[in-house]
Amino acid sequence: MSPIARVTVELTVNGQPRQALVEPRKTLADTLREDLGLTGTHLGCEHGVCGACTVLVNGEAIRSCLMLAIQARGAEVLTVEGLEQEGQMHPVQAAFRESHSFQCGFCTPGFVMSTVAFLQEAPSPTEADIREALSGNMCRCTGYQSIVEGVQLAAQKLAATAETPTPGMAVARGA
Amino acid sequence: MRTIGTSIQRVEDARILTGRGRYVDDVTLPGMLHAAFVRSPHPHARIASLDASAARAMPGVVAVLTGADMQRLSNPMSIQMLPGYKGPTFYPLATDTVRFVGDPVAIVVAESRYLAEDARDTVEVEYEPLTPVVTLEHAQDPSRPHVFEELGTNVVFQDSHTYGDVDAVFARADRVIAHTFRQHRYANVPMETRGAVASYDPGSGELTYYAATQSPHGVRFALSGLLNQPAQLLRVVSNDVGGAFGLKGFVYREDVALAATSKSLGRPVKWIEDRNEHLIASAHAREEDVALEAAITNDGTLLGLRAAMTMNQGAYPLLPFPSALFASITRVMLPGPYRLQAYKFDTTVVATNKAPYVAYRGPWAVETWVRERMLDLIAREVQIDPVEIRRKNMVTAAEQPTPMITGPTLERMSARQTLDRTLELMDYAGFRDAQQRARQAGRYKGLGIATFIEAAPGPRNMSEALGFGLGKERAHVRLEPDGHLTVVTAQMPHGQGHETTLAQVAADEMGVPFEHVKVVYGDTRFTPFSLIGTGGSRAATMASGAVLYGTRKVKDTVLKLAAGMLEASPADLEIDNAMISVKGAPQRALPLGQIAMLVYMAPQHLPPGIEPIVEFDHDFDGDEGGWSQATHAVWVEVDPDTGQVKIDRYLVVEDCGTMINPAIGEGQVRGGVAQGIGGVLYEHAAYDDDGQFLAGTFMDYLLPTTTEVPTIEIDHLETPPISPVNFRGVGEGGAICAPAALTNAIEDALAPLGVKITEQYLPPVRILELIGAIATE
Repeated sequence: MSPIARVTVELTVNGQPRQALVEPRKTLADTLREDLGLTGTHLGCEHGVCGACTVLVNGEAIRSCLMLAIQARGAEVLTVEGLEQEGQMHPVQAAFRESHSFQCGFCTPGFVMSTVAFLQEAPSPTEADIREALSGNMCRCTGYQSIVEGVQLAAQKLAATAETPTPGMAVARGA
Repeated sequence: MRTIGTSIQRVEDARILTGRGRYVDDVTLPGMLHAAFVRSPHPHARIASLDASAARAMPGVVAVLTGADMQRLSNPMSIQMLPGYKGPTFYPLATDTVRFVGDPVAIVVAESRYLAEDARDTVEVEYEPLTPVVTLEHAQDPSRPHVFEELGTNVVFQDSHTYGDVDAVFARADRVIAHTFRQHRYANVPMETRGAVASYDPGSGELTYYAATQSPHGVRFALSGLLNQPAQLLRVVSNDVGGAFGLKGFVYREDVALAATSKSLGRPVKWIEDRNEHLIASAHAREEDVALEAAITNDGTLLGLRAAMTMNQGAYPLLPFPSALFASITRVMLPGPYRLQAYKFDTTVVATNKAPYVAYRGPWAVETWVRERMLDLIAREVQIDPVEIRRKNMVTAAEQPTPMITGPTLERMSARQTLDRTLELMDYAGFRDAQQRARQAGRYKGLGIATFIEAAPGPRNMSEALGFGLGKERAHVRLEPDGHLTVVTAQMPHGQGHETTLAQVAADEMGVPFEHVKVVYGDTRFTPFSLIGTGGSRAATMASGAVLYGTRKVKDTVLKLAAGMLEASPADLEIDNAMISVKGAPQRALPLGQIAMLVYMAPQHLPPGIEPIVEFDHDFDGDEGGWSQATHAVWVEVDPDTGQVKIDRYLVVEDCGTMINPAIGEGQVRGGVAQGIGGVLYEHAAYDDDGQFLAGTFMDYLLPTTTEVPTIEIDHLETPPISPVNFRGVGEGGAICAPAALTNAIEDALAPLGVKITEQYLPPVRILELIGAIATE
């Protein structure tokens, strides 16, 4: 078997133009982690169930283990590393910290990104809405209650800072 | 400011929430290669031939090593920990026989993981299938082969312990009630799979092993012996670990194969398990049957118990602790907080063609489940209330101290108070009324209660009862030149927040701000030896105690030095917010940082006669120890048409002493309960009778999500302290008690249909079978 020819993929990641030379079969998750040095995106199952690898592509939450890097050509990708602004945590991150939402931290980036996307769509969710929206992300440590509380607090924080758009929200609005 | 008892924000969260956590898959080294394992698709077979020539010829492939290579590179693996345990001898990769689906037979090393997996798929192995040994019954069936021929049996451990005159007690009982309980195979399923980077440096002769482990020293101890690698030239490093729940407290054959491969190639090699591999081939837990007989009086007084447990260890035991060791804890703890006059416990451990048995969050938990299940079954039999049978038999505060029938002293054990408080928090009579009305309307509501105690760490005589001790815990505390503290712990946290809780303990003891303390761990170059690392709910008491007393030693020296400088007695000094002052005279003060600087830079200016040493080890033995305990209550409704169990309310009343950080403690409880709920309703590491594994993806092994785990109410009690270290382990209890409470609730709901529950896995299809809605398979 001969080596597979690599292709150049150009995309925008966390607001920066990036390129990677990858095999066409390489997943977006592996490309972010190995070629672009963004190891905040984690792989928990590699078959699209656990949600740990969730990132935003053109504002939409996707499983980066199920997407090839070449499918993200030209796209705007936002990972957990891209949420802070001027050294300040994104309101979702800050809310999760205040709520003691996580323990081992492995599923955390996926929950953070899913929550960023979810709260753009549903800024004032009920607890049932939150549980439904995050049912595609698995956490083995917490029993989820602290995560649900974190999302509720994040919604309050985002409402309070609505006039200051976050990077995640800017991407979602196509800015 | 005192931080203990406050939910101060976790140190860990600043990095894990921003993508700056450093897990083992984030380790990248120059020249690093990637490994993939060839694994057996058969549960039991001879390896007739193995041809890796195609793989070796592929571009980017560096090496393929097999069992024969491992016989050369590694010493044979075996376990000597437990007298009477028949341990096999085996190698990191199968040599001539494969013994479970997933048994590793070769390791393929290539320039990338993609290439390693491509090459893995070209390795041709011819197998001659053998009859598999799968179930507990198979293992004792003389017509089946032996999993390890050399042992001449599949029964690898048996023992029996008797306490009191069991026959006499059973002879005078009004009734004997007997049931055999079946606990199914679980999987721990941390969100991060297993993985490691082995890096042998031929220049220095040093092997560095970056591991996702609960016990870096355990890994080092095993690899050193197996690979003839001197311990001083073997360093195990762990940073963030993405959950474990017991699974990463052991050393796996893949660890040995990976380290041996790196040593053989002289290059770093990374292996990150994928989820399918993890579910099939890492390890499973909890597969045990317990035949239990209870001798009782007609009023429901418990007189004696006879228990016979059979445990399925799978094929290969894991280093360093064989599963049979956990049976000792099951034996000692099964009587729980209840009075007994006599007790017998028999253990049988069998080997089968399944993945290894591993510790899982309260590996002895079957004791709570069978006891609390049996109490409900007895209550129904003698027609008394499940609450009443517990109150009738449970040891009260007034009776303590008193020994359990198995030996350990019950003192300040507050199970009874947790039960009483549970009753206060629920409208019990109101629920029974509502249950009756619901039944008349054709709806099946149930309430389950269960109580457990855990030796976390338990009394001083716990180790005598077990037949083994878990040893002391060491911490190292150092005052730095700027007056800040570095705490070195033997713990290897993987979600428990020890960087936060141990810093709280040290900061409060020293009198410095929380931010002035850094807790370090996870590198055998500087961490104290511990075979366990983090496990067994030890950290709260053992690690906190070591840190507290180690800090106290530093503080004593500082106060003696300061006393000379402030012309006061050390006893008259206090440290608050890193300022040392004379009590009642705050103007007579000096900063802690000033003393620290003098110690390091100008000790000649310190008062004479005091050794200016400001870093100390402390080995903590647990003081008087103590118990963790809780009562769980769960309200369910079972849908008789679909078999679905809906949890309406879940309440935990627990007592783990003082909570260092309540948010962290409650997170441990809730996480454990979620795993217990998952185990009963969703999770089954199932094999078919031919030994094929049936739950190799997250579509088959179902984890509970946000929509399955309910809000869990927690009420916290606190017994008065025995020692200054009034923190007790809380990591395992949620998982230990939840299956008992939930199965009790389900049986209570289905009582009008005559259902008796003696098995723990109750997915909808099984509920429908139990109520007779569909035929039993």
